[in-house]
Amino acid sequence: MSGEMDGELPFRVLKPATSDGALARLGRLELPGRKSLDTPNFFGVTSRGAIPHLTPDTILKYTQTNGVYMALEDFVEKSGKRATPALFTSPTDADGRRLHSYTATPSDVTIVLGPRRHPAVVSPGGNGATYVSICTSTGFQSLDMERYCNSVATVKPDVVIPLADLTFGPGISSAKRQRRMVERTEEWVEAFFKTLDPQEVLKPAGIHAFAPLLPVEYPMQWEYLNRLSEDHAHHLSGLAVYDANILADLQQHKPLVDLPRLSMDPPASPHHILRQVRMGVDVLTIPFLNSISDQGIALTFSFPPSQTEDGRILPLGLNMWLKEHQVSLSPLVEGCSCYACTKHHRAFLQHLLNAKEMLGWNLLQIHNLHVMTQFFEAIRVAIADGSFEEKARDFARAYDPELPLGTGEPPRSRGYHFKSIANQPKINEPPWQALEGDKGEDQVLAGEIAGLVVTGHSAVGGETPLVPDADADAADLDQSGFAEVEKSA
Amino acid sequence: MANVIASQSSAALTFDLVARCSTTRARASILTLPHGTVQLPIFMPVATQASLKGLTPEQLEETGCRLCLNNTYHLGLKPGQDVLAAIGGAHKLQGWNHNILTDSGGFQMVSLLSLATVTEEGVRFLSPHDRTPMLLTPEHSISLQNTIGSDIMMQLDDVIVTTSPDKARMQEAMERSVRWLDRCIAAHQNPTTQNLFCIIQGGLDLEMRRDCCREMVARDTPGIAIGGLSGGEAKADFCRVVATCTELLPELKPRYVMGIGYPEDLVVSVALGADMFDCVWPTRTARFGNAITKNGVLNIKNSKYAIDFGPIEEGCGCICCRKGEGGIGVTRAFVHHNTSKETVSAHLLSIHNVWYQLQLMRDVRTAIIDDRYPAFLRQFFADIYPDKAQYPDWAVGALQGVGVDLLAD
Repeated sequence: MSGEMDGELPFRVLKPATSDGALARLGRLELPGRKSLDTPNFFGVTSRGAIPHLTPDTILKYTQTNGVYMALEDFVEKSGKRATPALFTSPTDADGRRLHSYTATPSDVTIVLGPRRHPAVVSPGGNGATYVSICTSTGFQSLDMERYCNSVATVKPDVVIPLADLTFGPGISSAKRQRRMVERTEEWVEAFFKTLDPQEVLKPAGIHAFAPLLPVEYPMQWEYLNRLSEDHAHHLSGLAVYDANILADLQQHKPLVDLPRLSMDPPASPHHILRQVRMGVDVLTIPFLNSISDQGIALTFSFPPSQTEDGRILPLGLNMWLKEHQVSLSPLVEGCSCYACTKHHRAFLQHLLNAKEMLGWNLLQIHNLHVMTQFFEAIRVAIADGSFEEKARDFARAYDPELPLGTGEPPRSRGYHFKSIANQPKINEPPWQALEGDKGEDQVLAGEIAGLVVTGHSAVGGETPLVPDADADAADLDQSGFAEVEKSA
Repeated sequence: MANVIASQSSAALTFDLVARCSTTRARASILTLPHGTVQLPIFMPVATQASLKGLTPEQLEETGCRLCLNNTYHLGLKPGQDVLAAIGGAHKLQGWNHNILTDSGGFQMVSLLSLATVTEEGVRFLSPHDRTPMLLTPEHSISLQNTIGSDIMMQLDDVIVTTSPDKARMQEAMERSVRWLDRCIAAHQNPTTQNLFCIIQGGLDLEMRRDCCREMVARDTPGIAIGGLSGGEAKADFCRVVATCTELLPELKPRYVMGIGYPEDLVVSVALGADMFDCVWPTRTARFGNAITKNGVLNIKNSKYAIDFGPIEEGCGCICCRKGEGGIGVTRAFVHHNTSKETVSAHLLSIHNVWYQLQLMRDVRTAIIDDRYPAFLRQFFADIYPDKAQYPDWAVGALQGVGVDLLAD
């Protein structure tokens, strides 16, 4: 706390990157009142303020959640009944913050606030010169700098990412669009610190700003990085990295080098996580954790990789839908110490998925978060003893390049903020096709999305499936013991 | 702990009566089952498919639950008897070391499968895919429940909606249920580790119910259920049936009214002498954003709760409502924020609602032991209805029948 007031960073590099190109480093992030975080590490990704399927008691009891990312767009839907979003009138904690008490997040967990969900859906309106387009449960809105700053000052997150002019479509945007992104973001970061004075507002409120680094090539944003390092570095507590590739060139901006790097670049697999760590990322956000649990996959990898008998490639996860688990009393992963593995077994998981019982997703979240916690712990050990590069190479050789796919039906079919997993084509059109000046309100789409549920499988709100599967033969039912085939028939 | 007045044991069950209400027929007792002791009167939440709607077994345990339901019909479909046998039963499947009660599966089969018909042999239906005729017999139901390993099993009964006007069919169903009980008893493989309860049938015909009670009681099962209710009959009729049956049932056996779960139904049924209840309502209604409180049901989806930063229910002891050590301290506002948007809201309301139901029964039990159950009933209705004129007639009438005048000052 006092270090903060002295202008010291809440982050210390404990073992810096070496000069030979291996940029992985060890550090510690210590925010007042929150768990001390040894890095590299990861934060959870929330949906509407909740880690999907996990109640706060479960998070406390069965996970080691250090921090979470929340999106302002999850809290600011327009309502005919209220002028201001409910969050903004929520009672504050002892330290004047609102997000922890509003979302019942355990008090030692760090909360990072950004404007958009992670990953964000493409909003058809696109961003404007002074605003970004956001997607709420009651439709698209534009969020301008002033409103964003006011929101930040009102809710007081531990960490905030200033507005950036990001695009979320697939593929690479045009050079023109990229240039505009850099120019606008530069202006917006400037404006952010003008509106929320670092000394007068941010510091006393304990709000730590992590400046966005953009998902464009270095030559495109080096001027912006210059501005950051010359004008703003002393205001910054960290960097929010939207494309980890940029870190290779960050060494040229000395004032920025020792800042903690929060990656908002969604990794597609643990291989990508290792790659980001190797590039010098300190804290990752990993949206695939949520989607992989919904798909019924239990992560199975460890670091360093377990020995393979015959050089066989190991899978990164186990599809819990498979019938072969039906009578298996083994834990999801042999030797795993998580709640799901020590208390339950594969047969129960398979049953829960097959029966579309919500507890299945809950248990997979617990397990997958645990696997990720162990993974990062081992990464830190390897960096400390100098074996990281070698082990990362072993890992790349040992495991499948991609995460497996679940074969069953995940809980989210579609919702107002349909989330596509990394590398999957997005459902919406890319935003840069929209015309400038468009208000960002597609009436048809907005209408369609309003009222659609997020965790939207019909079975969640509805009732337990009641009849045998339509393809169940009498012989199947007889054999499984549901009833018997009539002998006389 | 109150002293035991009288006890009776069978191979896998002990019933200890600890208190009788001096006014109503309410009683407090202790039921000892193969997986531990439970205190009656009791509400049993329904973990239909071996899971209580998104809750971990520990979260269910934390509500105080030590006896929950699984549905035989659903477990017979998924994961199926062969899988259950290989795993070693339902306790092992779901990581639940407390008691489980299973129904017979017959009710769901008749009401859910197309073209299901009931014959003396059993419930006949066509398999959905290849339309092969299939059969659920009393023997098969018991075999399934033996495999599930439930602490309390229910006989297969011939269930007719109570409102059916066909008296001859009702009589046939009642008598058939008695015959099927004999077949269930004969088929039961594990009488020392599992209890088989009979089910009283007979619709709304009190004479038929009395006949059925006599027949069933003669068969001396360790516990007795009153079935065929909660099917849309008038509440006054429901109360008459319960009161008629409890009058004829032996005092030292647990009495289970099937499918009952609204708080008013529970407290009135206890006054009429019933001990055990089950219902999917608390968890189902949670998924629609409803919170059960002592002042009635609140629909947290209502926009007024968006800025209500109080607990789901003031003074509630569930982990959701409690603040500080072990409590979440969640607000109505946050539950509203995620109702029908994130599963977490349904989980939170399910935890709260199940706690509410179990706490209600704990309070009921304490009131019976302290012999102040009539006063408890008056307070209970006063908390829900601001005005006595709003009290439901059926409850007033039923309680008058056991010596409690809700309308008196």
